[in-house]
Amino acid sequence: MTRRRLRVICAAVLCAIFGVGLFASTVSPYSYARQFRERPNAAPSASHLLGTDSLGRDLFARLVYGTRVSLLLAPAAALLATLIAGVFGGLAGLVGGWCEKLVLAAADLSMALPLLFVLLALRAVLPLDISPILSVIATFVLLGLLGWPSSLRVVWATTRNLRNSDFLLLARATGCGRWRMIVRHVFPNLRPVLFAQFWISIPLFVLTEATLSMLGLGVMEPLPSWGNLLRGLEDISAVSANLWRLAPLILLVLVVICFQLILPAQEETA
Amino acid sequence: MTSSAPLLSARLSVDYRNKPGVLRNIVVEIHRGEIVGLVGESGSGKSTLALALLQLLQLKGAKVQGEVIFQDEDLLHKSESQLRAMRGRQMSVVLQSPLTSLNPALRVGTQLKEAWRAHVKGTKEECLSAIRTALNSVSLPDDDEFLRRRPSQLSVGQGQRVIIAMAILHRPALLIADEATSALDTITQSEILSLFARLNRDLDMAILYISHDLLSVAALCHRVAILRDGEIVECDSPDVIFDAPRHPYTQRLIAALPGACFGKTLSRPLEILS
Repeated sequence: MTRRRLRVICAAVLCAIFGVGLFASTVSPYSYARQFRERPNAAPSASHLLGTDSLGRDLFARLVYGTRVSLLLAPAAALLATLIAGVFGGLAGLVGGWCEKLVLAAADLSMALPLLFVLLALRAVLPLDISPILSVIATFVLLGLLGWPSSLRVVWATTRNLRNSDFLLLARATGCGRWRMIVRHVFPNLRPVLFAQFWISIPLFVLTEATLSMLGLGVMEPLPSWGNLLRGLEDISAVSANLWRLAPLILLVLVVICFQLILPAQEETA
Repeated sequence: MTSSAPLLSARLSVDYRNKPGVLRNIVVEIHRGEIVGLVGESGSGKSTLALALLQLLQLKGAKVQGEVIFQDEDLLHKSESQLRAMRGRQMSVVLQSPLTSLNPALRVGTQLKEAWRAHVKGTKEECLSAIRTALNSVSLPDDDEFLRRRPSQLSVGQGQRVIIAMAILHRPALLIADEATSALDTITQSEILSLFARLNRDLDMAILYISHDLLSVAALCHRVAILRDGEIVECDSPDVIFDAPRHPYTQRLIAALPGACFGKTLSRPLEILS
């Protein structure tokens, strides 16, 4: 199978999963919070495609709504992180001097701290009894605010190369103003780098959210996310009784693989 | 060709933070409609001088001292916004490599449009008309297909012509050609030299032609300055430089040329291009 065909398949899979998440209310017959108290831990059936959890909630509905939470907010967090990286990395690369030193020192300091532990510490500072919606926002804003350093390094290195390029020198020599040069000459060259950083941040944030939620510090119940759905896997007996409970894990792995495979290889972009 | 008040009169020294004395008390004078050649080996400071005249060296952390009188104004005392208004409009530059001088992410038309919009806030039609005129001046096609091309779709010669078109878009009084033909093959090089001669003749554009290629300098320039280790060691007409060089370094340069190329062929160099 050619690499191109593989990318098309991955894109189709991602589009399908995004579509399901986006139209969760149409795809799923039930709400994610609706309980069928008389049917806890039910096996898959026509009325409950993946069965139910210990509280009698439809697992398919929770998976579909969880997909919405994970797959719509991870790109939002990735966008925030890429914006921060783009603005500060670009600024450091273009301006140089003390500004560059300051920004790089901040990035290095952030990279020296393990992201997950910082997230755990910051999330722990926030009250645990906040509303589910607030927990979603807090989780992804934190991800966005903390996930920029590696992207910033890449953006900075690219911008620094651009700063010394002949075409920017020529743009200056033709009388191009500073802002126009950034918008019309620098940004078009940074765009592929920013897009790549945005794209590779999404699966990273999906996984980080899953880890946080598994630990009970991410998206709060009853709102589902892939992370808190994975918490259901703690109950081995329930998993062995209903292997469809592995669906969130399979979906998570599938999405991460698709995100990685869809990016063009470096030699193809050269 | 020459008038009493020079178009550009510069006397300057340039020091980099880690390399002082890159240019030492250089004196350059260029009159309207004159082509001055600047010859020197690699690392002698030719490109530094070009950027110093455009006041673009400060961005590289260099210290420029002296004066650069251009159209009766000292550029060293101008603000960045005043310099920006002058660059590209009254003084332009053509850099050595078209492959790196054109923005790889922008189409040819966009790059030319940007160069025009840097100084004129006209309509789209006026912009396109100016771009087409500039492209015609450098013998390039001016159709939409060409304007939509990216730099990677141009030959080296076409790329260099696009850069020259950008440089002459606003009909500057002075064009600095920094090793503009060094990356080109012999035929393209000769075409570009003819183009410079034509621009000089038709637009009365003064040209500072920087090169390490003595043959092209001999073919194009009215006066030639020899730069060595940051100092101009000799400056005279091509006839004197090539037939009776005074400075030992110039003599060595001339002696290093293939003997067969010299003699009467280059004694009236401009005739080659006319």
